[in-house]
Amino acid sequence: MTVQRPVYFDHQATTPLDPRARDAMRPFFEESFGNPHSAHHTLGRQAAEAVETSRRNIAALIGADPREIVFTSGATESNNLAIKGAARFVGNTRRHIVTVATEHKCVLESVRALEGEGFSTTLLPVLPNGLVDVAALAAALTDETMLVSVMGVNNEIGVIQPLEEIGQLCRARGVLFHSDCAQAAGKIPLDVDDMAIDLMSISAHKMYGPKGIGALYVRRRPRVRLEPLFSGGGQERGMRSGTLPAFLCVGFGAAAEIARQEMSDERVRLAELAEQFKVRLLAVPGASLNGDADKRWPGNLNVSFAGVDAEALLGALIDDVAAATGSACTSAAVEPSYVLNALGLDAELASSAIRLGLGRQTTSDDVEVAANAIVHAVDTLRAQAQDSAA
Amino acid sequence: MAVMTFVMPDGTRREVDATPGESILAIAQRHGINELEGACESCMACSTCHVVVEKDWFAKFPEPSEEEDDMLDFAYGLALTSRLGCQIIFTVALDGLVVRVPSDRHNALLD
Repeated sequence: MTVQRPVYFDHQATTPLDPRARDAMRPFFEESFGNPHSAHHTLGRQAAEAVETSRRNIAALIGADPREIVFTSGATESNNLAIKGAARFVGNTRRHIVTVATEHKCVLESVRALEGEGFSTTLLPVLPNGLVDVAALAAALTDETMLVSVMGVNNEIGVIQPLEEIGQLCRARGVLFHSDCAQAAGKIPLDVDDMAIDLMSISAHKMYGPKGIGALYVRRRPRVRLEPLFSGGGQERGMRSGTLPAFLCVGFGAAAEIARQEMSDERVRLAELAEQFKVRLLAVPGASLNGDADKRWPGNLNVSFAGVDAEALLGALIDDVAAATGSACTSAAVEPSYVLNALGLDAELASSAIRLGLGRQTTSDDVEVAANAIVHAVDTLRAQAQDSAA
Repeated sequence: MAVMTFVMPDGTRREVDATPGESILAIAQRHGINELEGACESCMACSTCHVVVEKDWFAKFPEPSEEEDDMLDFAYGLALTSRLGCQIIFTVALDGLVVRVPSDRHNALLD
């Protein structure tokens, strides 16, 4: 078998650009360079038309109206805009926010920034399988709660949160519901109406689109209003000023359309590969899967190898497998993952975990190569540890 | 006789008589409160009759239409209880209504 090494197993950090999305983008790098906000000439109108087609594709992916899609620079900006924007608009009337310990840093830090502005926060723990306890969430809501933020698919452990249940709960209590769906959009079916979601963050480069663009879904009925983060020309219905990068919008739209069409087949294919991978990895003594075994996106396996240092393991795998210890944003810091801590893993088991992300190009041969390399590396590291202890 | 109050941008309160069936915009104009401009003559194209309704009264109104929400998106100084004066029809149940007049206007017709 011919497998190019290192094999890429870091699809939660980013996904490669789908060649079909790249081809759709190409003219907008080159001859169709117009500003989509220039309404007085053909180049501008061409760009605007392409941007609006993309907006429709993105809306279709999540069951939204195109007018509910606001382009941003990525999920970090979308999460900031959703949380800070909604809180600052509602202002003095209700000042309590509920979120979860395993959310992405940009959600946790946005909420923390609002604490500095006088908002109070409840940071919910998760169950040992990584899922939110919906009863605990219900109990945390008060008459002061204005926003609940719970992600769709966790970036480190891949678990899928019960969005529909949480959404209906929030709707019944008159609380806005935001979901960071950076890892969920284009992977699992999402419907903003069925899930009663008011605000949803999406990123293009997690679904085989280009880096540097994302979107925020903002519900129109009943209208959700946000205080913008930046001042400017009032583009994107006043919520996000700045010239739209037409080529990135087009790549994002193409990626969304591909994902919408291929999502269900891809999920089945990845589930088979993940099963093949899991069987091999969990056969290693002292190996355990982190996060719920069933309620998870199959393109993620987060596995602890007891007694093995994950940093050393990735070092040993450097020529064979590209993977991660946790989210890439925090991987510069050598500290155990706060997500794994929230599951109740002790520091040692948390620091022995690696995250393996499978994706569109992953093949069964890739899984075999990676599994062989990991099993071998774990054995070698354990043998070395025994030798040095002897 | 029913009344309603406009709280002006400088904080002064103008209590005026109001007739059921009139819009808030029409009531303002009848009393010379020209801060509510009504540039589009109530066809929801300008947002210049934007008012901020006192919280306790806000819940007594029917939900805004999608078109009214769209126009409110352009309003200057938008707040949680913002409405367009041309879309709220005064009724006996609204006797005593209080609305705040924003300090500026944005005429979407001129965009």
